[in-house]
Amino acid sequence: MSDDLLLTALRDHARVPAPASLHRSLARKHLARPRRWMLPTLTGLGGALAAAVIVLLLVPTRSAHTTIADEAAGDHLRLLVGRDLGVVASDMHQVKPWFAGKLEFVPPITFLGDEDFPLAGGDVAIFMGKKSAEVVYHRRLHVISLFVFQADDVPTSEQTIRGFHVMTWGRDGFGFALVSDASFDELHSLHSRVQ
Amino acid sequence: MALFSRRLAVVPDAPDTAPLAERALEHVDALYSLAVHLTGNASDAEDLVQSTYARALAGSAQYEDGTNLRAWLFRILRNGFIDLARRRKIVLEIPDDTLDARTDMGATDEQLRYVTAGEVQRAIATLPVELRLVVLLEIEGFSEAEMANIAHCPAGTVKSRLSRAKARLRVALKETT
Repeated sequence: MSDDLLLTALRDHARVPAPASLHRSLARKHLARPRRWMLPTLTGLGGALAAAVIVLLLVPTRSAHTTIADEAAGDHLRLLVGRDLGVVASDMHQVKPWFAGKLEFVPPITFLGDEDFPLAGGDVAIFMGKKSAEVVYHRRLHVISLFVFQADDVPTSEQTIRGFHVMTWGRDGFGFALVSDASFDELHSLHSRVQ
Repeated sequence: MALFSRRLAVVPDAPDTAPLAERALEHVDALYSLAVHLTGNASDAEDLVQSTYARALAGSAQYEDGTNLRAWLFRILRNGFIDLARRRKIVLEIPDDTLDARTDMGATDEQLRYVTAGEVQRAIATLPVELRLVVLLEIEGFSEAEMANIAHCPAGTVKSRLSRAKARLRVALKETT
């Protein structure tokens, strides 16, 4: 039996990224002031602005759906490892009211859970820099997170990030992200119920 | 892009510790990952990483430039966790376990090819803390000597803990897959 295969599985799946809020907090505390950049050969405001525009155009940016899927995978992973849910309940009539006052919107979720995808609970997550609803379902031994957040034009996508399958889509001013290590078939099945 | 890159220059306006702080902050994700696996709790993990950086950068004079900054940070985090574990009375001793001798009971190579993240997380959580530590350090690429320094134990102990950790992980993965 190969140790290499075990190590590969661990390297692929064991790492849990830090939440963006922790990165920001540490940078605020330990990097005294933001860097200032000097452009010695470009003088005057016009030159600096022109350079900034060129740099912005040339620097590769991550696409919106990659960022959403990344955040979803990271937040879901933190849930798997040890983050407690804000509300643990199998009844949506307990979970949905729990969000009242914690979010600036009512999450448009009508699927209450069923035998195949029992509801496990919910939480408020900081997602894309804003408060979002996280509703958690189970599928056998798998945990599935559904993030709901306010956003326009969230692209429909399916990606695999660090071994997690992530589906994103948008509807009526809301963005949705489903993430789990369950198969895409299972996620499609839940997606059709959530829609 | 290259044309402009050559012309950009950083104005060094941060305090003396800034270059070390900047380099240290490159390891937040790796430190958090270890912290969350050790504590099993996202909130404690964040506190542990925060206190690691506070201790490291307050005591930055103890860091010898040119030595392994990453290993130094991991060692501080491990020490911080041991303090926390003692306060919380978390069991650190590795219990004797007959499973250690039964590697044949573990997941097969075929099963390992298809494990999921959730299964790996659950398997790691079954390990005693000190076994969890060495296996997580190994996947971060530390050598046995570096692991020994971080874990405050002889290199031979690291080797034996790694072997026990892997055997137990295989068993745990077999049970969860």
